Amino acid sequence: MSSDKVGPSGLTEAESEEIHRNLIQGTQIFGMIAAFAHLLAYIYSPWLK
Amino acid sequence: MIYAKMWTVVKPSVGIPVFIAAVAIASFSVHLALTLNTTWVKGFLNGGAGKVVAVAAPAAEPAVKK
Repeated sequence: MSSDKVGPSGLTEAESEEIHRNLIQGTQIFGMIAAFAHLLAYIYSPWLK
Repeated sequence: MIYAKMWTVVKPSVGIPVFIAAVAIASFSVHLALTLNTTWVKGFLNGGAGKVVAVAAPAAEPAVKK
């Protein structure tokens, strides 16, 4: 099975994909919070006005 | 998802802190630049979000008249 193949970092492809999924999800949550914060900054400050 | 396999090569204990540090440094730089180059971030941080425009305007006037 190819997902059992261990790479130079010592992780299998399955473990690598699991880490990547979590990293992507964390990035998306961070991005949504940041987008909301920027929306508030846009509304309450003279930014771009 | 081809990029998911990068963690078989890059150790997550190195790659993830580098990724987070890159985001943090970029974000800090942009916000520092905004704080140094605008009046309204300073105004907001000083607690006068509603008064920023009114306070900033008279300060800019003498420079324009000269």
